[in-house]
Amino acid sequence: MAELKPILLVEDNPKDLELTLAALDRSQLANEVVTARDGAEALDWLLYRGPHSGRPPVDPAVVLLDLKLPKVDGLQVLEKIKGDADLRHIPVVMLTASKEERDLVRSYELGVNAFVVKPVDFKEFFKAIQEVGMFWAILNEPHPPRPRNQPMRITEA
Amino acid sequence: MNDFTDDRSDLGGCAAEPIHIPGSIQPHGVLLAIRPDGLEIVQASGNVAWIVAGDVLGRVLTELPGMGGLAEALRGDLPSDGTATLCTLESGGQTWAVVAHRLPDLIIVEFEVSHAGAGSLDVLHPRIRRGVEALQAVADVPALAASIAQQVRELTDFDRVLVYRFDEDWNGIVIAEEGNGALPSYMNLRFPAADIPAQARELYRLNRLRLIPDAGYEPVPILPADPLDLSHSVLRSVSPVHAQYMRNMGTAASMSISILDEGRLWGLIACHNALPKRVPIHVRNACDFLGQIAAMLIGARTRSAEAAERVALHAVEARLLSYMAAEPRFIDGLTRHADDVLELTDAKGAALIFDGRCHLLGATPTEDQVLAITDWLNRTQPHDALFQTNALATHMPGAETFAEVASGVMGMTISQLHASYMLWFRPEVVQTVSWGGDPRKETGSINPRESFAAWRELVHQRAEPWTPAQMETVRSLQGAVTGIVMRKAEEMAELTEELRRSNKELEAFSYSVSHDLRAPFRHIVGYAELLREEENGLDARGRRYLDTIIESAFSAGRLVDDLLNFSQMGRAVLTPLPIDMNKLVAEVRRMLRPETEGRRIEWHVADLHPGVGDASFLRSVWQNLLSNAIKYTRGKDPASITITSTRGTGETVWSVADDGVGFDMAYVEKLFGVFQRLHRMEDYEGSGIGLANVRRIVERHGGRTWAEGALGKGATFHFALPDPVKEKTWQN
Repeated sequence: MAELKPILLVEDNPKDLELTLAALDRSQLANEVVTARDGAEALDWLLYRGPHSGRPPVDPAVVLLDLKLPKVDGLQVLEKIKGDADLRHIPVVMLTASKEERDLVRSYELGVNAFVVKPVDFKEFFKAIQEVGMFWAILNEPHPPRPRNQPMRITEA
Repeated sequence: MNDFTDDRSDLGGCAAEPIHIPGSIQPHGVLLAIRPDGLEIVQASGNVAWIVAGDVLGRVLTELPGMGGLAEALRGDLPSDGTATLCTLESGGQTWAVVAHRLPDLIIVEFEVSHAGAGSLDVLHPRIRRGVEALQAVADVPALAASIAQQVRELTDFDRVLVYRFDEDWNGIVIAEEGNGALPSYMNLRFPAADIPAQARELYRLNRLRLIPDAGYEPVPILPADPLDLSHSVLRSVSPVHAQYMRNMGTAASMSISILDEGRLWGLIACHNALPKRVPIHVRNACDFLGQIAAMLIGARTRSAEAAERVALHAVEARLLSYMAAEPRFIDGLTRHADDVLELTDAKGAALIFDGRCHLLGATPTEDQVLAITDWLNRTQPHDALFQTNALATHMPGAETFAEVASGVMGMTISQLHASYMLWFRPEVVQTVSWGGDPRKETGSINPRESFAAWRELVHQRAEPWTPAQMETVRSLQGAVTGIVMRKAEEMAELTEELRRSNKELEAFSYSVSHDLRAPFRHIVGYAELLREEENGLDARGRRYLDTIIESAFSAGRLVDDLLNFSQMGRAVLTPLPIDMNKLVAEVRRMLRPETEGRRIEWHVADLHPGVGDASFLRSVWQNLLSNAIKYTRGKDPASITITSTRGTGETVWSVADDGVGFDMAYVEKLFGVFQRLHRMEDYEGSGIGLANVRRIVERHGGRTWAEGALGKGATFHFALPDPVKEKTWQN
């Protein structure tokens, strides 16, 4: 069975990062989660640049992308991914703090695959992350059940 | 804009005739043309032998017998704009009154047959003085005309004296008459402009007094026959057409005195006699003098009447301007004071076309007809000029269909940006006009008409003409209104810019609020949930604390969301479309089904009127109203909710009535405020923003919201949406 593709989570806020990881952990996903703290870091990882020039050649199963990011913001990262012939196929799910209409419109213009407004209610947030993870990371690729005692693998990009 | 112009050409044969150089004189005198430097005679009338025997051409005046005194007088200053009476001469057994005037290179001396002991102006002085006093005593133009006619007849003893006034198209109307009955009355008769062609009018203007003692005269040629300008000559021979005209009128002798008003030929004092008649020079001069006094007084009276009218109209205009200044929409200052708008021009109706709306005041054509007029004005008339007519049907095709209310139209544009107009209307006044003979028989004919029987014509599709003062006031109002429109446009532009800026700031603000304010609440809830899951040592009280933390953070987050929704609603662009309200209500009721679970609610939903609006926003309106009705009937079993709609004037009203807890009408104004609650939080949940949203959405649609209720007796909420403004074709 092929190695499971990782999930790339791009989130600058440490608390949101922790909560999202907690949510993903509860989704029983076997995928490795790679975290990036800003848009530049995410692009470096995706494009094998800088410190990631030697990383194993694997594309993520899905990119969970926060909209508001330092340096290169979420929409710019999205634009880069969807404008790159090699990356275009990677599903991108936008995570955003608000349902600002113009962000939504712009995201869909740029070819986002899904758009999730982070709910205040953690249970709903958990549910949303779980659904996103299930759909993009699992449904597209069957995987073996993961033993409960094995912790989720998280690496920093 | 011409009135009473029937395109009747006055360029008949006589209009082309050079009547100031006829080459002949009337036979009641002798004419000499003399070089001013050497007094050499260069031209003379064929009857010169009457005063001097033998050949006079080429001779010097002083060589002629008895002319020494005259020669001396000719060396003095002579007028060039009229004749000077020089002296009386006895020659050839005849008494002559001698008058003279200058041409650029010649002196014209005329010897008119007189008689010994003819009076002088001195003799007439008492009568002239009384005449001037009488003229000054009358107040208006018609009385002045009557007085001057009477005095001229007393001085001259003509059979009939008329005062004849020109209109702006040079048709004449007889406005005063004095006579002894020997000649028929012409009072109130009109004469077409062609009767006195342009060059004849010019001679009347230059030479105020004209006498034809006998229309049946034989003209005396001037020799040699070089052209000689006789504009100012008293003996000038008249056109054969004019002589024929007089014979047709049955008058053998005529005299006319021109009345000039500021250099324009205002009218004539026309004297007629059935038999040939001479009028001595001193009497003619007295008539001329009185005529001039009358002209001055006519000018003064006309102008003071106009001035009084202008003052009155300016007062009305000033009132209208203050009304306009007092209204947020200046146009309301006009529409709410229809009486003053109509008084401004003495009109019966008016129309204001502005901002895509057509306001009709008083008696007007229908809106479609008014729009047809503005459309026609827009296509055919200069945009910055005042348009006025008293016979619209002669200018605008199709206007005859509403001639009854709008034969007279005066109007102006009040904004260059849109087709904006102010128009005034006057109804048709069917007038009976008496012409001196059928004026239409004259077209192109050199022959004067044979019959002078009065010819009556009914004039249709004409209104009373607009006065110069009314036109001037409208022009002035146009200036003021255009100024207001421009200033408003500038203010609007500034306001728009300011709004754009503050809107942008608000947008940036709410954007950062939505991101930054929501995050901490999310974190509180998230970590508290994690804590609850992972901390097993919490007792019941600890868990309750945790639940309260989660609940509070959660509702704070909801509040932020609601507030953001509310602010987004103010900025969102509406897409108004026809909406089936029955469908929309059914859809919202389906959506709210979870809220009615376990409840018994009797729904009474009438067949609702359709509306026009933004479907997604109006869905939110229904959702809020129905959700409230469900929520506040919670204590009733069964509860009753009634949904109805009615047509109002220019709007449709939809209502939701329930039999729930209701509210105290004292607080009705608080209902629609943001975060206003009339009930305790623990009784009825919600952030208190629902009705504020309803009001905001409805107001964005140009509609209104209101409510009625009583404590314990239920509540009824209404919202009304205005009827859509129908598309106007005239908008550019």
